[in-house]
Amino acid sequence: MKGDTMLKIFQRLWQVNWAEQWQYRANLMMYLLYWLVSPIIHLAVWTSIANVNGTVSGLTANDFATYYLLLLVVDQLTSNITIHIFAYKVQDGTLSGELIKPIHPMLTNTLVNNIAFKAIMLMGFLPVWIVLNLIFRPDFSAVTWQGILLAVPAIILGFMVNFLMSGVMTSIAFWTTRVYSINEFYFAMFVLFSGQFVPLQLMPKAIQTIAKYLPFQLQIYLPIQLIQNRLSPAEIAQSFLVGLIWLVVAIVLFNWVWRNGVKRFSAVGA
Amino acid sequence: MPTTIKVEKLSKTYQVPEREGGFGAAVQSFFKRKYKDVKAVQEVNFEIAQGEIVGFLGPNGAGKTTTLKMLSGLLHPTGGTANVLGFTPWELKTEYLRSMTLVMGQRNRLSWDIPAADSFLLGQAIYRIPDDQYKQTYKELDELLELEPLMKKPVRNLSLGERMKCEIAAGLLHRPKVLFLDEPTIGLDITGQSRIREFLREYNRRTGATILLTSHYMADVTALCERIIIIHHGNLKYDGSLNDLSRRIAPFKLIGVRLGKLNGHDLSLYGVPVQNEEDAEKHYIQVKAEDVTQVTSRMLSELPIHDITIADPPIEDVIERAFNE
Repeated sequence: MKGDTMLKIFQRLWQVNWAEQWQYRANLMMYLLYWLVSPIIHLAVWTSIANVNGTVSGLTANDFATYYLLLLVVDQLTSNITIHIFAYKVQDGTLSGELIKPIHPMLTNTLVNNIAFKAIMLMGFLPVWIVLNLIFRPDFSAVTWQGILLAVPAIILGFMVNFLMSGVMTSIAFWTTRVYSINEFYFAMFVLFSGQFVPLQLMPKAIQTIAKYLPFQLQIYLPIQLIQNRLSPAEIAQSFLVGLIWLVVAIVLFNWVWRNGVKRFSAVGA
Repeated sequence: MPTTIKVEKLSKTYQVPEREGGFGAAVQSFFKRKYKDVKAVQEVNFEIAQGEIVGFLGPNGAGKTTTLKMLSGLLHPTGGTANVLGFTPWELKTEYLRSMTLVMGQRNRLSWDIPAADSFLLGQAIYRIPDDQYKQTYKELDELLELEPLMKKPVRNLSLGERMKCEIAAGLLHRPKVLFLDEPTIGLDITGQSRIREFLREYNRRTGATILLTSHYMADVTALCERIIIIHHGNLKYDGSLNDLSRRIAPFKLIGVRLGKLNGHDLSLYGVPVQNEEDAEKHYIQVKAEDVTQVTSRMLSELPIHDITIADPPIEDVIERAFNE
């Protein structure tokens, strides 16, 4: 397919999905609250502890403040809602309408829907983020342009791996209706190994070592560390290599699960 | 005319989980699931030539929709082959998807929460329709279906019939060569139904497209299809002209009357009394088609009639009769 045709498809998909997301404003506010609560609690707790003790495992109150404030942005950029906007379509048969269109339902429409969701969430989130910065007054002096530039490909990589892995789990809906519990398990692993709850430095050494070889830290820990210039060139190279390997794994897995899943699709209902 | 659709021994068996009610059965099914095979379509064969409009009939659960889903590529069959426009449908090749359409139900191509106009423009991009062709096709569709007033409202706020019109139009923007239509006139008022019929006939005439449609409205079938295919319990029961079938299966009409008093009048003198649960106030009799005029005038002169109707037997009855014979 020619590039400009694809571009036009994505442009129109964007218009449709952007308009759709605006229809769910109230729903989005709920998501926003849900997604803000846990990092803000962690932020408050850890900065208080560090203020009393001076440091926690070498991390100061400012380290925690910058970590969680960056986490709020990075998490939003790398996370995805695929399972919530796709799995039910397999179960109630509404996927039929998308399968007969000459574009891939997951890699076009669902992808754009995810991006539209992010865009609108970030808009709602920006004022909250500014207020949080005024309250905690973090010192971002460790952040450099080079760090941010390195974090951009890491965030894209993190999102792509995460999106495809979610696509794999969502496609399991072709076999069983229990996709949500599989997703919960994946999320538990994510919480443990990504740096979502606490910076990985605070985790036991064994967890830190395992985390280096898993895809989860691509989504949180790696981009934050890059933005703050905390990694050596060797560590950066290794993290990107691990990320690229996971991307290949995710692509292969997704293709296989999708191809075989669609064969099992029973197009129930209309 | 070249063959557009060729189906050989096409079969689909669904595996449906099955268990008794109750706690014990629930626990048991957790460890060992029992499945029942449901044979939705069994070794069906037919060919449809380019430009034909074929009615695909059968009672609910006969396997019509399953067949349409296989031919449009949504379902993988458990046996047999199908070839449409030279493609195997369930390979879902882009070229194939761009040259056919499936209109099924009301929630297929249109996004529920936004105006249909946006979904139409998305369709234009997805099917790579050049601007001038898009405008031309849209104009034609608008003339026949009066789409313009509906385009700017969110689809969820449209009535059933309005949605169906938009759904059909959205499915035809790319001028498909093959149309699979599952109940295309469902939910439409009489004018809407005849508009769609007119439109399909015109579309078929102008483009030479092949159309396979299911409908529970006899009028759709009589107006459009010279040929019908009947399936029942997944088996092909009849493939031929509609006239032949009607002559063979249902050469009768239903006369319904509302009487001042039934006392003393025996309707079985005029025809075979039949039950109609939908309209308990009327009494119905079945009469041979060629006797209708004569019987009606006799009834009008001999009975205290308030109201009288003459109708074709319902399509379901005709088909049901076809299998029972």
